[in-house]
Amino acid sequence: MNLQRRELGALPFLAIIAAWWLLPRLVQYPAYMLPSIGTVVDFARESLLDGSLLRNVLASLARLAVGAAIGLALAIPLGIAIALNRHVADIFRPALSFLQAIAGIAWVPLTIIWFGIGNGSVIFVIANTIFFASIYNTVIGVQSIPLALHRAVRSHGGRGLALLTNLILPGALVQILLGIRTSMAYGWRALVASEMIAGSNGLGYMTMEAVQWQRTEVIILGMIVIGVLWMLMDRAVFTVIERRTVERWGLMQR
Amino acid sequence: MTPQIALPATAGATRWAWRGSRALKGVAGVLLLLLAWQVSVPLVGMSAYFYPAPADVVTAAVDLVRKGILPVYLADSLGRYLTGLTIGAGLGIALGVFIGLNRTVALALSPLLKFMFAIVEVAWIPIFVVWFGYGIRTIVLALIYVVFFPVLYNTLLGVRTAPQALVNAVRSLGAGPLQVIRLVILPSALPGMITGLRVGAGFAFRGLVFAEMVAAKTGIGYLIFEGAQSQQTARTIVGMIVMGLLWLAIDQFYLRPIERATIQRWGLTVDAEQRT
Repeated sequence: MNLQRRELGALPFLAIIAAWWLLPRLVQYPAYMLPSIGTVVDFARESLLDGSLLRNVLASLARLAVGAAIGLALAIPLGIAIALNRHVADIFRPALSFLQAIAGIAWVPLTIIWFGIGNGSVIFVIANTIFFASIYNTVIGVQSIPLALHRAVRSHGGRGLALLTNLILPGALVQILLGIRTSMAYGWRALVASEMIAGSNGLGYMTMEAVQWQRTEVIILGMIVIGVLWMLMDRAVFTVIERRTVERWGLMQR
Repeated sequence: MTPQIALPATAGATRWAWRGSRALKGVAGVLLLLLAWQVSVPLVGMSAYFYPAPADVVTAAVDLVRKGILPVYLADSLGRYLTGLTIGAGLGIALGVFIGLNRTVALALSPLLKFMFAIVEVAWIPIFVVWFGYGIRTIVLALIYVVFFPVLYNTLLGVRTAPQALVNAVRSLGAGPLQVIRLVILPSALPGMITGLRVGAGFAFRGLVFAEMVAAKTGIGYLIFEGAQSQQTARTIVGMIVMGLLWLAIDQFYLRPIERATIQRWGLTVDAEQRT
């Protein structure tokens, strides 16, 4: 069953490759519009051998990691602190949802003024994207813990750290993880987009730079790598996180 | 559904009051933010090019409205966004129902759909620029793309998970294939469609701004980008604020009404606001 499913799933990919191979044999178009499979494979080999592809991938991933680490390290504690008091949470929620709406790529022109082209701009944009997406979700997560549970823990003498580890963190965890996941999806887009405008290397820079020279094989390879990397990250990192935490604690049934 | 607690007769009034006070607190939060910005200006102590003050931004906004630039840009952005969203969602729903009805086709296509969605719309913009040049076609295509895949994928899932017992029940009462689709498949796929639209709409909004930065000569994204390029940083901030307000308006007047008219009315889900 599983094998059959896998084979079935491979069919459309094979069909696309076949169509890609056939197209230049059926229709006339300038070579730069769509490079042949061979050109893309050659470029992939070349950029793998000289290490330029790996350098771009690592540069992008490193920025994502640094930006995400900064964003999450600020957002989760601050989100919990805000949400612990219902009034404070009510005060900040609309402002946070507004800032979440403009988080990310819209900051690039400002960050270019502030930090110039390069790492500073891109990392700021990622941290900013991830910060606002996950702080909003953290606040909502803590606020959605039923009041009855709050009172139950309190009436058993739960205070301070005990309240945090026994009630707040597990209670808000699902929403926080959901926020991290969503914010990473936004962060990944923000990474590629901001590298296109304000990067000096990385996958986004690589693909946008290729437009000027009409090197479509670079663009297509970049797109494939972007797609594969995101699928790997989504599968490897997030599925594991969810299994380790949410499912084990029985907070969410699958 | 969450269990409802029986409320006394005055509950309606107190709920409104509570909502009102919540809105007031929200306004206070926004004002606080503005105050922090104003206070930070002398602390940063840089030129208006580097760090504009709220007053500079208000002046720039008035100027942009008076010259008629902002209304035009806003209309352009909104038009592009709604066009892309509507076409993308329409295609996604149609194809999702069509594909989802056939188990083998659905199984075969879902890995490809996942992969296509993983190649984020942002990554398509360079090749769209090569194919279609800088302009509206590139922008709208990127928006269609980003909405199409999550709607298609979630519609597919919804169609696949339509309860077979209901299909059998309706069939045994003499329903034809079209009636099965209308009475069972579509309603059970509806939450998926709306989820897909939600996901796509959020990504598409950022996608719009980015695409306008790269490939447009009008629009909010262009305003944000061009303001900084021409050293009128206050204009960039006007653009960012308008962008945020635009998203809140789209959420309030476009996405939520759709959700209310479809999922909530049929009691399939409760929104976050009610749950808290």
